[in-house]
Amino acid sequence: MVENNDMELSEAEAEQYDRQIRLWGLESQKRLRASKVLIIGLTGLGAEIAKNIILSGVKSVCLLDNEKLRETDLYSQFLSPPDKVGENRAEASLQRAKALNPMVEVTTETKSVDDLPDSFFTQFDIVCATGLKQEQLERINNACRDSNKKFLCGDVWGVFGYMFADLVDHEYSEEIVQHKAVKRGPDDTAKNPCEKVTINVKRRAIYVPLQNALSADWSKPELRSRLRRGDPSYFVMKILLRFRDENNRNPDPSKRKADTEILLRMRDEIVKELNLPNGFVSDALLTDVFGIVSGVAAVLGGVIAQEVVKAVSQREPPHNNMFFFNPIKCVGFVELYGQ
Amino acid sequence: MVARVAGVFDEKLTEAIANSKVLVVGAGGIGCEILKNLVLTGFPNIEIIDLDTIDVSNLNRQFLFHKEHVGKSKAQVAKDSALSFNPNVNIVAHHDSVISNDYGVSYFKQFNIVMNALDNRVARNHVNRICLAANVPLIETGTAGYAGQIELIKKGLTQCYECQPKAPQKSFPGCTIRNTPSEPIHCIVWAKHLFNQLFGEEDPDQDVSPDTADPEAAGEAGASAMTSKETDAGNVERKSTRMWAAETDYDPQKLFSKLFGDDIRYLLSMENLWKKRRPPTPLTWDNLPGKDDTPTQHSGLPDQRVWSVYECAQVFATCCKSLQADLKGRPEGDHLVWDKDEKSAMDFVTACANIRAHIFNIQLKSRFEIKSMAGNIIPAIATANAIVAGIAVLRAQSILKGDIETCTSVYLRPKVNHRGQLFVPERTLTAPNPKCYVCAPKPEVALACNLKSLTLKDLNTALKEGLNMQAPDATVEGKGLVVLSSEPGETDHNNDKTLEEIGLNDGCALMVDDFLQNYEVRVRLQQEDEEKAWRLVTDVDEPMPAPKEQKPTNGANGNNEPKPGPSRPKDDDSDSDMEIIEEDDGVPTAKAPKRRRTEMTDEVVELC
Ligand SMILES: [Zn+2]
Repeated sequence: MVENNDMELSEAEAEQYDRQIRLWGLESQKRLRASKVLIIGLTGLGAEIAKNIILSGVKSVCLLDNEKLRETDLYSQFLSPPDKVGENRAEASLQRAKALNPMVEVTTETKSVDDLPDSFFTQFDIVCATGLKQEQLERINNACRDSNKKFLCGDVWGVFGYMFADLVDHEYSEEIVQHKAVKRGPDDTAKNPCEKVTINVKRRAIYVPLQNALSADWSKPELRSRLRRGDPSYFVMKILLRFRDENNRNPDPSKRKADTEILLRMRDEIVKELNLPNGFVSDALLTDVFGIVSGVAAVLGGVIAQEVVKAVSQREPPHNNMFFFNPIKCVGFVELYGQ
Repeated sequence: MVARVAGVFDEKLTEAIANSKVLVVGAGGIGCEILKNLVLTGFPNIEIIDLDTIDVSNLNRQFLFHKEHVGKSKAQVAKDSALSFNPNVNIVAHHDSVISNDYGVSYFKQFNIVMNALDNRVARNHVNRICLAANVPLIETGTAGYAGQIELIKKGLTQCYECQPKAPQKSFPGCTIRNTPSEPIHCIVWAKHLFNQLFGEEDPDQDVSPDTADPEAAGEAGASAMTSKETDAGNVERKSTRMWAAETDYDPQKLFSKLFGDDIRYLLSMENLWKKRRPPTPLTWDNLPGKDDTPTQHSGLPDQRVWSVYECAQVFATCCKSLQADLKGRPEGDHLVWDKDEKSAMDFVTACANIRAHIFNIQLKSRFEIKSMAGNIIPAIATANAIVAGIAVLRAQSILKGDIETCTSVYLRPKVNHRGQLFVPERTLTAPNPKCYVCAPKPEVALACNLKSLTLKDLNTALKEGLNMQAPDATVEGKGLVVLSSEPGETDHNNDKTLEEIGLNDGCALMVDDFLQNYEVRVRLQQEDEEKAWRLVTDVDEPMPAPKEQKPTNGANGNNEPKPGPSRPKDDDSDSDMEIIEEDDGVPTAKAPKRRRTEMTDEVVELC
C-alpha cells in the first residue's frame, strides 16, 4: 500500500499539477507523489505508459528492459531518439523520460526479468509489465500478490490491445454526486436551486491473479452467455499470447504473410479447444496485429496509466479486471474474468 | 517515408498515408498527442496552427513542452519536439490564429484531413464552416477531466458541429448579480464585473451597482428605490463608477465604503427584495470580522485556505493600489484585461467575491476554488488526452483507407457504462440536420427583434455573436442593397440607424455572407415588440432524420429553440481541450444511451 505522504506540496508542484489537482484532489496528488512504479518493456506501449505516469507526478519510475532498440520500435516509441537504434531500450529512453518531469526520479534496469529476484519487483508499489510471456507475467504477478503489491500488464499488437489488472485487495474512495435542495435561512421559502453535493464513499474490490483470468472456463454458462455479445477480443488476446509463447517473439511486420498463417492456425486451435462458434474470431481481427500502431499504443498507454493513477491514489473505481480495445468497432470495454 | 509503416499496415493504407497531408488545429493537450501519433506513424506532411504560448500549468499533459519552453510558441515548440521523434517528416508550424484571412477555404483544400484540437467554441465553429466549404473531412476532438469525444464531420455525410443547438453558456440575470446573489458564483461574476468597471473595459452590461429596475422590487409605490429621480441617479452612478474611483484616487477605504456599505444600504431600501430573503448586512471598514482571529493551522495548498473578511479587505486594498498603478502605467484609453493567472487580478476577485458573499450570508470560498469558477477551468489530464488523440488518429487512418462511413463518433466515458464500455462508439453516423443554419443546402435562420429599436450596429453584433460570423456582409434580399459591409468604414455611417429606418420590416430577408468562412445564410427578420435585444430562432420543430442525439437545452419544448442573446456574459475562458461530454446514463436501458452536448454547465440557472 502506498504510504500517505503528509509533506505539503511545493509551490512548483502546485503550479505544475494545478489542473489535475482540480480533478482528483490534493490527497490523490500526495499519494501519487509517494508511489514507486516499475515499467517493464520499453516498446511504444511502455513509452506511452511511462510518459503519462511521469507527467502525473509519482515519486519514481524504473524503466526495465533488456532488449535493444529496433528500427520498428520507432513507429511508436518516442522516448528513444532514432539514432539510438541498437542500444538498450530502457537506457535509450532515459534522457527524454527524465525531461518529461524533472520532479520525478527515473532510473533504468537492463537485466532480463528472469535474472531478477522476486524481491526486485516487490520494492515497487505497482508493476506494469508489457511484452512478456505468459509464464513471466504470472511469476511477477504472483510475487507482487504475495507482498500485497499491485500488478498490471498489457500489450498492443498492431491495432489491437488489452490490459489486465490485479490490485489484490483494493480499498478506494469513490465520489458520488447527490442533488439536494438548499435553504438560505429560516425564513427562506423562495424556490431554491438544487445544490450538487459530492460525498466520498469507501469501497473495496477483490481481484484474482492473471492465471485465473487467462484460464477462464468457457464451458461455464455465465461465460458462455458472454459469447452472445459477440466480442472476440479475449480470444484474440489468447491467440497473440500463444503466438508469443511459442515463437519467442511477436508477429513480425516483415513476415506479414507467413505470420498471418500461423495466427489463423492458432485461432482454429483455440476455437476448437474452447468450443467456440465457427467464425467467432474473424480473420479481419488477426490481419492488423503487426508491430505497434502509435494511435493504439496511445490509447492503451492512456488506459493503463489512468489505472495506475487510480490504484495508487486509491480514488475512483479501478477496472476489474480486463480491458480490451477492439479496433474494428473502436470500442473499449471492461470484463471480469477468472472469478 | 513509406518505409516507416511498411508491414505494420496493409499496402493500401501505407500508400494513402505516404500521400497524405494533414492539418492539426491546436497544439494543446490533444494537439501535442495527435502530432506525436501522426509523426511516429509516418504521416509525411503535417501543418499545425496555434496562437498560444506555453504556460507552466500546461506541463502536466502537454508533453512536447518542458519548463524551459514556458512563454514560447506552442506550435513551434511542438514542431521541434515532434521532429526529434522522426526527422523525416515535414511539419509546418503557424504561431497564429486559425481565424484569419491566411487560412481560408483554398488553404484548407490542400489537406486530406483536418484534425481539431481546440479549446473554444468560436474557433470550432469557424473551422467547421471552412471544412464544410472546402469539403474536407474534419475530426473534432475534446476532453474534460476523464471524459472525451471524437467526432467526424463531413459535408453531406454527417452532422456538422453546429447542426444541434449548443447549450447556452451559463449566464445569470443582471438582477441576481447586482441585487440578490444567493450562490458564490453570483458574487464571483459580480467581482469580475467590478474589476472591469474599475480597471478593464467598461461594459454597460456589467454594471455592479444596485439594479433599480429589478421587477421584483416593483410594486413598491413610493419606495425610494423606484422613483424616477433615484433611477436617474442610479444611471449616473453607473456611468461614473470608473470616474468616481479615479476621483478618489482609488482610495481603498472609500471604494470599500461605497461598494460594501452604501450600495448595500441602498439595496436594503428596496424592501420587496427582502420579504422572502435574508437581507444583506452592510460592512464598515473599521469593524471587519476576523480582525483579531488567531491564524489557524491549515493543511492543504496555501490557496485552499479561506481568507477571513478582514484579510479580504486587506487584499482588496493592496490590489486596488497595484491595479491602479498598472492601469496608470498604460497609454491613455488602454485598460487591463482580467486574467486568472495574473496575481493581483485573481486576488482582487477572490477578495471582492468573498466580502460580498459574507454580506449576503453566502459561503466564502478559497482562492483555489474561486479561480476554478472565475476562470472556467475545466481540469485536464494527460491520459484522457492521449486516449482521445489516439482514437482520432485511428479515425484519420480509416478515412485515408476509404472507410469513412465506419468513422462514427466515439465517447470516452469517465466510468464504464452498464455494458462495461469505457469507449462507446455510436452505431451509425448521424446524418446532417436538414434545417441546420450552417450546413443545410440553403441555410436559413430567423432573427427576432424589434426593428424599431435594433440598430445596424446591433445587427452586426447579432450576426457575430449569434451566428458566429467573423466578417459579415449583409444585403437586402431581392434588392441588393448593402446594409452591412465587412469593408472598414463602408457602412459605418448607418451604424446608429434602426432597421426600420433603412426600410426593413417584418418578413424582410437579408442575405448574409462571410467571405472568411465561405458561408452564406438567409436571415428572416421577425418583428417582436417585446424583444429588448435580439434572439435567433432556428427551425428544429421537424423531426430529425436520425434523432439519436438528445437536444442539449432543456427549454421550450424543443421547437423554436432560442439562441443565447447578447446579454449573456462573455465569460468563455475555458482552459480545457473539450466542451462536449456525454450525459451519464446510470440506468440500464435496451436503447443506446442518450447523449447530449454540454459545456460543463449542468448547474441550475435561476431566472428572475
Ligand atoms: Zn450542420
